[in-house]
Amino acid sequence: MENKTMKLVLSGAPHFVTGNDIQKTMGMVIIALLPALAGGVYFFGPRALLVTAASVVSAVAAEFLFRKALRRETHVTDLSAVVTGMLLALILPVSSPLWMAAVGSAFAIVVAKELFGGLGGNFANPALVGRAVLLMSWPAFMTRWSPSLHAAAVDATTTATPLGILKLGGTITDVIKSVGASGKSALYLQMFLGNRAGCIGETSGLLLLLGAAFLVVTRVIDLRTPVAMVAATFAASWLFGQDPVFSVLAGGILLGAFFMATDYVTTPVTPIGKWAFGIGAGLMTVLIRQLGNFPEGVTYGILLMNVVVPYLDKIIPRKFGFVKPRKVNA
Amino acid sequence: MSLKTFRGGIHPPENKEPTRDLPIEHVPAPTSVVIHLTQAIGAQNQPLVKVGDRVVKGQMIGDVQACPAAAVHASITGIVKKIEPAPQSNLKDGMAVFIEADGTDETAYMAPLDAFACSREEAIKRLRNAGIVGMGGASFPTDVKLAPPADKPIDTIIANGAECEPYLTIDYRTMMESPADVVEGLAIAAHIVGAKKAYVAIESNKADALPVIEKQFAEHNHGILMGTIIAATKYPEGGEKMLIKAITGREVPSKGLPFDIGVICQNIGTLKAIKEAFVDGKPLIERGFTVSGGACRTPKNLYAPIGTVIADLIPGVIQISDNVRKVIFGGPMMGVAVPTLQTPVAKGTSGVLFFTATESKQYEERLCIRCGRCADACPAQLMPMLLNAALLSDDVNHADAIGLIDCFECGACSYVCPARIPLTQRFKLGKDLLHNQRAKEARHGK
Repeated sequence: MENKTMKLVLSGAPHFVTGNDIQKTMGMVIIALLPALAGGVYFFGPRALLVTAASVVSAVAAEFLFRKALRRETHVTDLSAVVTGMLLALILPVSSPLWMAAVGSAFAIVVAKELFGGLGGNFANPALVGRAVLLMSWPAFMTRWSPSLHAAAVDATTTATPLGILKLGGTITDVIKSVGASGKSALYLQMFLGNRAGCIGETSGLLLLLGAAFLVVTRVIDLRTPVAMVAATFAASWLFGQDPVFSVLAGGILLGAFFMATDYVTTPVTPIGKWAFGIGAGLMTVLIRQLGNFPEGVTYGILLMNVVVPYLDKIIPRKFGFVKPRKVNA
Repeated sequence: MSLKTFRGGIHPPENKEPTRDLPIEHVPAPTSVVIHLTQAIGAQNQPLVKVGDRVVKGQMIGDVQACPAAAVHASITGIVKKIEPAPQSNLKDGMAVFIEADGTDETAYMAPLDAFACSREEAIKRLRNAGIVGMGGASFPTDVKLAPPADKPIDTIIANGAECEPYLTIDYRTMMESPADVVEGLAIAAHIVGAKKAYVAIESNKADALPVIEKQFAEHNHGILMGTIIAATKYPEGGEKMLIKAITGREVPSKGLPFDIGVICQNIGTLKAIKEAFVDGKPLIERGFTVSGGACRTPKNLYAPIGTVIADLIPGVIQISDNVRKVIFGGPMMGVAVPTLQTPVAKGTSGVLFFTATESKQYEERLCIRCGRCADACPAQLMPMLLNAALLSDDVNHADAIGLIDCFECGACSYVCPARIPLTQRFKLGKDLLHNQRAKEARHGK
């Protein structure tokens, strides 16, 4: 039989492909961020949702419009802009003006991502670039912290974050007082649960780890980088004479380690590179906290490491069947 | 119990159910065949017959004085109608001998040869004259494979029954239906290379073939220590280097061959062909293959003369649906999509798959998001995303430095890629670019 009209597709092998595409991967990350977002709503009120919505809508719109303007195929359905928008919202104070969140995520998408060719072409984490730009442009808004709605001693509309208290010369005892805890272990617990001042999604270690566990189980993220970053933060802050447990629970270490330092595009792909990236990001964060002007250093710690990724990717692992060249001598 | 395996690999859908329990069906004798003169890796064969000649089934019709090369034989008895290029499953449209059957079933086989009594040289010559090649798809001449250099002693030979390509079940069926032939062929191959140990290795999803095989050991082992091994069901477990690693723990060195570490692998169908070449004097003129895929209404295992044109089997033997959009010779991971059903079955054809429009979907390639899944999947433990980046920036030298040549094109990276990057295809192309560049450098005396 020869069917003259039959049209056959020619393509290179393999002729089989997994159903797991970019959209599914990004969808998983969105699911993993939901507990932290829910925590933000619980601790800081429904305004957290408004800030997130403003950031996400702006991110998606910016990507769509920018690519339309350049007459390029739009890729908003891959959900990566949604992830960027969510991540940026989670590292903003709940009191952020909505227009500021929108400007931040539009900047993140257009300047940090699309100008480099879109998802996969960017060298720095878009959400962190967005935050860094907002921090430089509107420092007052970016450092205006609301206390947790569930803190024991709520008598002010603004407060300082635990790290902010330390930066201003306070001690752990002052931090304990500020959150109304009874002692050090109560402080740890309260911080782990997320009942403290801070960015919308960074406060609850418990909820962040819950989301991260989902990504680990579904094999979306690799544990090497986050483990290295947390361990480096722990060790370095201890060397600086700080309380290491406090240092890991405070600020954005856990959010940064599990959701920013695991960003595929802007972190190393090689095993040793992943360890090095995590250690470097942890170290930089502690150095900024200790020696810099800002109380917190996760944003710049990770952004600085983003820059050296091409070098870390040069440390490739052993290939199958690789034999060390033997020295030729008589 | 953790099964023997290698690092990396993927778990694509197996899709073997439609054919795994269907006995191999012999196709009705075709009225014509198209036999390509060169069907093995190596030198180009010259025709030994002219248009108008009468050829007999089993008669050698193409050969060349060169190594490596494998002779080809008439697979039916009849008249040579023409000798001209024809569509080939490697897309190269090589010279082919068109034979029209004359209805007689005369054969011209060689005299049987006792592999255990004849000299090593005679045995190798028999393999050469029988045109035996690796039937798993690579089509490397078996006489060359079974004659490693004298300074590379072989201690172990492995019958590769892993059949890790989805859809394909022909090796499994061959083990179930002709276990004695497979084991006898394994003993002959082991004897030729002087291996003390011989294993039949399968993936765990074919475990029921093992007792069938083991039953034959007593009668057909010819004093060679034989055993069976179950490896994990994972693609590409049947890749030669992967299987050897899984079973012996030895790694074939980069740019090396299995004989460098004392091991040789043989495909199941090839072992049966080896047995037939010695015991029956029959050259490699017929083979089994699986017919399957979403657009194949009659999935089955077939046994047909080499040179049978697929279009001639439709609709008598194979029925396909109207929405067929892709025809693949081989498995879905490493097989070749062919442009026409006029393509004949070759010595290396392990399957013919018919894919629907949905199964043939083409995807838009996105930028690499560096998720690292390709590196996790790569059985050669390469970093495909870095190779991709190097090749996209035309830096073949860097690609070479990070292992481009070690890629054996299994397709695992392309399979897992969420950005739908045709990594395997790009690496194939990259290797060609690299070879061309090296050749150019050599010409300029660099």
